[in-house]
Amino acid sequence: MELPVLNDAPKAGGCSAGSCGSTDDQMNQLPDSIREKVQNHPCYSEDAHHYFARMHVAVAPACNIQCHYCNRKYDCANESRPGVVSELLTPDQAVKKTMAVAATIPQMTVLGIAGPGDPLANPERTFETFRRLSEEAPDIKLCVSTNGLALPDAVEELSKHNIDHVTITINCVDPEIGAKIYPWIFWNNRRIKGVKAAKILIEQQQKGLEMLIAKGILVKVNSVMIPGVNDKHLAEVSKVVKSKGAFLHNVMPLIAEAEHGTFYGVMGQRGPTPDELQDLQDACSGDMNMMRHCRQCRADAVGLLGEDRGDEFTMDKIETMEIDYQAAMEKRKVIHEAIQAEMDSKRLEKAAKTEQFKQEPKLNTRPVLMAVATSGQGLINVHFGHAKEFLIYEASPEGVRFISHRKADQYCGGDTTCGETESTLMRTIRALEGCEAVLCSKVGYEPWEMLETAGIQPNGEHAMEPIEDAVMAVYKEMAAAGKLDAKPDAARASA
Amino acid sequence: MAVKIIESCVNCFACEPVCPSKAIYEAKPHFRVNSNKCTECEGDYPVYQCASICPIEGAILNSLGEPINPPGSLTGIPPEKMAEAMAELQAH
Repeated sequence: MELPVLNDAPKAGGCSAGSCGSTDDQMNQLPDSIREKVQNHPCYSEDAHHYFARMHVAVAPACNIQCHYCNRKYDCANESRPGVVSELLTPDQAVKKTMAVAATIPQMTVLGIAGPGDPLANPERTFETFRRLSEEAPDIKLCVSTNGLALPDAVEELSKHNIDHVTITINCVDPEIGAKIYPWIFWNNRRIKGVKAAKILIEQQQKGLEMLIAKGILVKVNSVMIPGVNDKHLAEVSKVVKSKGAFLHNVMPLIAEAEHGTFYGVMGQRGPTPDELQDLQDACSGDMNMMRHCRQCRADAVGLLGEDRGDEFTMDKIETMEIDYQAAMEKRKVIHEAIQAEMDSKRLEKAAKTEQFKQEPKLNTRPVLMAVATSGQGLINVHFGHAKEFLIYEASPEGVRFISHRKADQYCGGDTTCGETESTLMRTIRALEGCEAVLCSKVGYEPWEMLETAGIQPNGEHAMEPIEDAVMAVYKEMAAAGKLDAKPDAARASA
Repeated sequence: MAVKIIESCVNCFACEPVCPSKAIYEAKPHFRVNSNKCTECEGDYPVYQCASICPIEGAILNSLGEPINPPGSLTGIPPEKMAEAMAELQAH
């Protein structure tokens, strides 16, 4: 079966420039110079993240602002979300840890500093880490993320290291909206609150963005989607940051639970539904390359996106490791080249299939969302009950496109300990809301029945097949069975 | 005349570099203030520098032993709302 992943949303008015995601195809829309830099970066490409790994080192505890979705007290080993870490590192420990991970997990290509505070509010610790890694482990790409307040003062120093990407979290360009997200900033030796604080922060973010672009440093913008606060405003943010030269926009859902002790959590602010998030990402995509595969990882995450091998690299374990980095670098180079070759051949294969698909008679059917259980390599290769997350694809007459990922169980891994009476299975099925089929290597009897009752067709017939092939095959079967003729009210008119 | 950091400190390092008197130092289980060095920023700044960047309500006390950032003043969460949410969690 042939299957393209789309560059374009199915209907006019969606993705104008054919660039709505960060799958490899969307990356193809970028200028060569940028694509070269990002195509092997696990955080920027859904494709690359199945092959390459990233890690964060938690060297930056201090912060110069407060966000309503953050609680500076938190440290929970069972949680995976931004701002959370277990072990704060000194720059020296961070360098040791990075080299130990790079030697043990050769697929690790990217080191980021993302907190748990703001990296640029800890300039000495952050820059010492970057300085040493640029010298001692030159084959690792360096990244940093920031709230932007101290960014203009840091651009010069950032440009001296091996850093080709900076992520700025920009939740608004309107200070009135900002005042509902940021209760205070520390600025010029004072704590400033309200609209005045938000105005300063926004000016610094925009100035920093312009300065980075002028230096030729790639900028990705993260935004947290907060329903009723900035959800209507983020399309405007996307336009503004694109016009200034940001290359990718990552709109992430707010995570807010009362037990996190954040303002939004305690005050009952809800996060967006998957539908609301997708609608916003699609709305922004007319203006901007959108990132859809972000896993919102911890500030000390280690491994492939969505996995965390941090436990293997605690400081007491690292102290006992003997690392020969020269030898490790040679081994890494060989492995990176092999991965690259595999990725290139898969990209070519995919492009050929896209061409072939274009030649086929076009269906006239409505789009369908499907969930896929995969552990990577672009294959359907995970048992339904073992899936920690599902990738969501949309099949339509235009082809197959990656939409998002959804966690199988919620942010807290705890099953019965978190006070929820709902079973993990029920939660998983609820997470698949809106999908009409789920493709996995196998499904047990009990979940099969429950999925069917929930209106989601389980499918284990495409085990070990490439995802896009299988999704299109199932879509065509549904079309042939006459399931896609009508446009039921419940079906999303996607894109 | 000195401020004091108490046990609710989360060791985030934010206060240490902004102290004009170098009175704050890393310690276990939390950061501490050398009361001989602390000037409460007098002569340097009109407001306490440590307490102006500290994100934790109640973690820094003035020389009268009062929290410089009382409950609700930084997060905007009304104290009764916080108590309610925490009681709710404990009940589970």
